[in-house]
Amino acid sequence: MSEKGEVDLTGAKQNTGVWLVKVPKYLSQQWAKASGRGEVGKLRIGKNQGKAEVEFTLNEDLTMIDSLGDKPSGVQAPRDHPFTMQTVGGQTLAVFTETQSESSKERISLEGLVVQRAECRPAVSENYMKLKRLQIEELSKPVRLSQQLEKAVTTNYKPVANHSYNLEYDRKKKEEGKRARVDKQQVLDMLFSAFEKHQYYNIKDLVDITKQPVSYLKEILRDIGIYNVKGTHKNTWELKPEYRHYQGGEEEEKETDD
Amino acid sequence: FLQGGSSSSSTEYIVRVPKNTSKKYSIMAFNSGDKVNCSSWTQARMERDMSNRRMYGVEETEEGAAGSEFGKKQREESRRKKFGIVTREFKVEDQPWILKVNGKAGKRFKGTKKGGITENASYYIFTQCPDGAFEAFPVNGWYNFVPQAKHRTLTAEEAEEEWGRRNKVVNHFSIMLQRRLREQERGPDDDDEEGEKGGKKKKKKGGRGGDLRIHDLEDDLELSSDESDSSGGEEGEERRDKPKKKEGDVKGKGKKKKKKRGSDSEANEDSDDGDFEGLEVDYMSDESRGHPHGNNTCSCSEEESEEEKQNEEEGKEEEEEEEGKKTPVQTKKKRDSSGESDTSEDSDIDGEAASALFMVKKRTPPKRGGGRGSGGSSRTGSRPGTPSIDSASTSNTLRAAASKLEQGKRQVVGGSSESPAAKRLKMESSSTAVTTQSPAPSGKSTPQPPSGKSTPSSSDVQLTEEAVRRYLIRKPMTTKDLLKKFQTKRTGLSSEQTVNVLAQILKRLNPERKNVNDKMHFYLTE
Repeated sequence: MSEKGEVDLTGAKQNTGVWLVKVPKYLSQQWAKASGRGEVGKLRIGKNQGKAEVEFTLNEDLTMIDSLGDKPSGVQAPRDHPFTMQTVGGQTLAVFTETQSESSKERISLEGLVVQRAECRPAVSENYMKLKRLQIEELSKPVRLSQQLEKAVTTNYKPVANHSYNLEYDRKKKEEGKRARVDKQQVLDMLFSAFEKHQYYNIKDLVDITKQPVSYLKEILRDIGIYNVKGTHKNTWELKPEYRHYQGGEEEEKETDD
Repeated sequence: FLQGGSSSSSTEYIVRVPKNTSKKYSIMAFNSGDKVNCSSWTQARMERDMSNRRMYGVEETEEGAAGSEFGKKQREESRRKKFGIVTREFKVEDQPWILKVNGKAGKRFKGTKKGGITENASYYIFTQCPDGAFEAFPVNGWYNFVPQAKHRTLTAEEAEEEWGRRNKVVNHFSIMLQRRLREQERGPDDDDEEGEKGGKKKKKKGGRGGDLRIHDLEDDLELSSDESDSSGGEEGEERRDKPKKKEGDVKGKGKKKKKKRGSDSEANEDSDDGDFEGLEVDYMSDESRGHPHGNNTCSCSEEESEEEKQNEEEGKEEEEEEEGKKTPVQTKKKRDSSGESDTSEDSDIDGEAASALFMVKKRTPPKRGGGRGSGGSSRTGSRPGTPSIDSASTSNTLRAAASKLEQGKRQVVGGSSESPAAKRLKMESSSTAVTTQSPAPSGKSTPQPPSGKSTPSSSDVQLTEEAVRRYLIRKPMTTKDLLKKFQTKRTGLSSEQTVNVLAQILKRLNPERKNVNDKMHFYLTE
């Protein structure tokens, strides 16, 4: 049982060596199609006059290339892939893994160090050329397409006598009626409780909250509050300092006798 | 296919690409220059660096009553939508790794994800299995790990600041030292940064008094640090040169000196390198430097001067020795002393340039003690690039120096409030303040070449043939220049006597003559 974040260093201690191989996209796609144990091909390592020669041969059953669309591509992936060996110098490459098990215990473990870098290249063949051609064709298709229509589209916008939204609005207005002035004290109460929650308010918002006509509200506000013209909270109303009691959230409502 | 031939052989291995493996492989790349050896790690911990995650509301301003606006959040959101600002989603798997090796005291690395490795080609890790077959695992991500500095680094603003001073600062240790001290102050005091700077030095003194007093080197570094911090490398350079030579430098002293130095040396930052080229600087001086001349810098300067005296006497500069402890030069005095006294002297000289040839005016000897800071710095002014500072001072250079010092004076005034004022007062008030310094005139009137030993006082000038010879060898001088060298205050002779004696000496020496700038210059070749 390892702690979270603890790295398992067995691979590093054993100095396990691995190869880092760059593989073409189409090949990795074919590998993904492997079945069973995941056998994908054979790797032949030989020594020819002092030089190491490495070659990968793709299994026959994996050579069918799928193409986009319905028709079969008729293209076969090339089978022979010599590896170009490279050195790792300039960088120290280590390999680590993250394991996420069901018990949601993520484990990080150092698998080993890269001792050899290689590039998997396809042996140039007729097959490969066909494959490349197919790829290019697919890539060259434009993403957006212009299409000519025969008939104009008429289903989007239709003229309407009155929009439904407008109807809603009118109805609401009628229902609410004009805003009526209530007692000043009541308004003050509302205002103070509102200012308890926030320090700065827009006049529109206050009108909304109090449901008072704007001019009446402004009158009252002029009494107890100030209008911020400049600064970060511009065009907002706030209570006058003597009415305020903002202390780390604690608030008192201050009432005035008018 | 196998090639025919004896030297080739090959073996075949099966390659498998395992499916449904819960392990995700990634590459951990280190720069080979960092010399990372994974097998030497005893323990390692690695976690994602979540510092880039912006929690909802964390970045927001405080909610709740004070300072908040009604509906601010919605307003902000609609505003962002209007401008099309799209914040990137925070993806955990794209975050960097933090790797800690060998526990708290070990190394730290940050691994940043390298983008685009899976775009055009796939990387696979080939490992060999016990059964001989190869297994290939696709690489999920590539992280470049870089070691993280444990030492302090400068922030961007500080770095820019230092960059501006790069030509002047030579002592690089001091940069971080200063920053550390600054932070110390900032921590307990929580002061405004600006306000700090002014009072900082004082505070530092107090602060550091309680702090570790380690060893001389640090003191010295501190000193130089402050100088370079405030003025420029010149001062710092000078200080740095004598780290070992200083003895028993008390921190407090150092502190005060720093304070004064800072302000004074700042004054001299303006002087260009070439300005002091022609001026001779004599660093040896037997003057008592403990003149309590300044007010608040009083104690400071005393200590300072003591310091500096030590420094000077230790002959940190070749020039010092070269110039000889023999005849201090007036220019030195000019520069050693405060900006004011110097300038006033210079300006006086300038004013009299038009008058009779041999007129020498009385000058108050500059207060050594007082002039410490600026003196020291002005001295350093001459340092850069002047391997041999000439004793002869042409009027041109003098005038230039004077103007520079005047500038310096102005700055000094700004910087160290009281001392310049005090000095100025002294300057103007008593021209007789000289006295203690001048030895008996009789001793000086005979132009005998004694061993060149200067009298133990501020006036180190003796009008001797030896001295004149030295000047003339070094550089062609006019009679006026020579006279300046042997000011009556210094030599104790009256102007008439000086003239006579000088004339005699010249007759004896019979120097060569040449005309420079329409003026007759004398010179000798060795």
